Amino acid sequence: MERMLQGVSLAVLALALAGGTAVADTSDKRIALSNNYAGNSWRQAMLRSWDKVTSQAVADGVVAAADAFTTAENQVTEQAAMIQNLVLQGYDAIVLNAASPDALNGAVREACDAGITVVSFDGIVTEPCAWRIAVDFHQMGKDEVLYLAEKMPDGGKLLEIRGLAGVFVDDEISNGIHEGVAENPQFEIVSSVHGDWDQAVAQRAVAGILPSLPEIDAIVTQGGDGYGAAQAFDAAGRDIPLIIMGNRHDELTWWKEQKDASGYETMSVSIAPGVATLAFWVAQQILDGAEVPQDLVVPFLRIDQDNLEENLANTEPGGVANVEYTLEDAQAVIAAGGQ
Amino acid sequence: MSAARNPLARPLARLLEKPWLWAFVGATLVWLATIPFTPGRGAGDVLTAAFTFATFFVIVGIGQMFVITLGPGNVDLSIPATITLAGSVATKLMDGQDALIALGFVAALGCGLAVGAVNYALIRALRIPPIIATLSSSFLIQSTAIAYGRGLRIKPPPMLAEFTTARIFGMPVLAICVILLAAVMAVVLERTIYGRSVIAIGQNQRAARLAGIAVDRTRLATYVMSALFASLCGYLLAAFSGGASLNMGEEYLLASIAVVVIGGTSVAGGFANLPGLWGAALFLFLIVTMLNTYGLGAGIRYVLTGLIIIAVITAAGGRKPLR
Repeated sequence: MERMLQGVSLAVLALALAGGTAVADTSDKRIALSNNYAGNSWRQAMLRSWDKVTSQAVADGVVAAADAFTTAENQVTEQAAMIQNLVLQGYDAIVLNAASPDALNGAVREACDAGITVVSFDGIVTEPCAWRIAVDFHQMGKDEVLYLAEKMPDGGKLLEIRGLAGVFVDDEISNGIHEGVAENPQFEIVSSVHGDWDQAVAQRAVAGILPSLPEIDAIVTQGGDGYGAAQAFDAAGRDIPLIIMGNRHDELTWWKEQKDASGYETMSVSIAPGVATLAFWVAQQILDGAEVPQDLVVPFLRIDQDNLEENLANTEPGGVANVEYTLEDAQAVIAAGGQ
Repeated sequence: MSAARNPLARPLARLLEKPWLWAFVGATLVWLATIPFTPGRGAGDVLTAAFTFATFFVIVGIGQMFVITLGPGNVDLSIPATITLAGSVATKLMDGQDALIALGFVAALGCGLAVGAVNYALIRALRIPPIIATLSSSFLIQSTAIAYGRGLRIKPPPMLAEFTTARIFGMPVLAICVILLAAVMAVVLERTIYGRSVIAIGQNQRAARLAGIAVDRTRLATYVMSALFASLCGYLLAAFSGGASLNMGEEYLLASIAVVVIGGTSVAGGFANLPGLWGAALFLFLIVTMLNTYGLGAGIRYVLTGLIIIAVITAAGGRKPLR
């Protein structure tokens, strides 16, 4: 996959070079980030990645400005008002992590009508005039079960920890997990609780349900909940099953400790907060006049037994394993989406 | 009524009048409904877990209850942010060292003291309604916590972590401490001048002032106390769950109000009780556990949670006015 991407990116780079000076065309353009929430470590890492990559881009003269705005209360109305303000302030493109997939469509439509490029990522919007950089959450859930099927050919009993009820990401990942289980009937999901992607909530939910559970062989998760689940099992004095992790620093640290102590094996998967920087470059490319398909897919970041140490070292304490994207990465993703 | 002639009926009738009774009845029923699905020692394990997690709800619930009792419009919305700030500051200062446990404790309470003072300054000096004042201060506090900790998750000192998870005969030590704390606060509420002043202000602030009660001092003390309990909760919660995180306090906003209301304290102020906090906190945890155990979907779970809470509050609210 990676090699293919590299090949594609080289081809695209060659095309871009042949096409002439791509960079100069956006040097007077201003891009805004409209973000709906900043209160967890993933979003903090996202904002830091954005700041790091875009401030360099501004210094290099690629764009004139790339300002980040976050709503205080994670409310749709608040973010709609913010988008309207950004339109009035004359930004050329808005990169959007949306509070709702459809409730912001009106404001997004207004921005499009004003001639502004809207690129949504992570929390995407369904309005057709906007671009979407989506994660294949369905596949992410399914991959967890496929990993388990490889690891435990005899199957076993699974505990599922879900995210925030009613959010589309939660449904997607869970559907993927259930599809994987349907295809691998040696596995059975004996119980399913909501951990809200939060260690403390997950710990409480698992601690409550634990007395009613039989021996659990593995826990499928959505990220941000694996460490809490481990602590709940630990506190109840039960054997800790294989827990799929979600790239958080505390989860990776715990995994490393267990690996060193007892050879504990698992895998970890989530999307990198740096996806914001991919959205930035995609917006820049659109402003530059590049042909970009409306729907793009970003790969998720997976950590396995052998590259755990490397990824842990690159993850700052309290943060999430991260990659920041470059212009070339964006061009590769655009080229892959066009096929 | 004929029941009044029965000698046993009077204590029973008095018990039935207690507003906190229904939270305990609800908790017990929910617990009994969960037991058939938990094999072996499961029933006891469920209770242990319930006491473990209810403890944190009760700590913040005590502070919120005193604030709400001050009368209409009084509520502390800065509790979640205070929990986060106190947890972040304490774990960062302690840096995982047992020798610094006391320092972390003092620092956490220091955060609470500052937050409470700022809250009341906004309410009194700037004449901002408490809901708006504590909401806006919570933005300031949360931002401070983000700027200070950047979501840094530092492990708590091992001795403190051990204390928060320790058990005696299946009963969490922390829960025993907080039961004692609740008992002390019940005496404060019922038997001290301060506690009676809070209730009097909640029933009629003007009358309380005319009766010579130090209204401002009492309200200041109450808001500071609420923030202190929130910071205590943040300190213990960070130790219990293996470090502070930026959203650790998030769910304690509604929970702190819910335990107060379900526990039979009047939302309009002027009437409060401590035991109900424990009943309500256990009840809230056990409902989620019961519905999880039944394996129902999230939608049905939320609907049932709502219906059960309405049932308990209606039952508790059925009591007659005192005179």
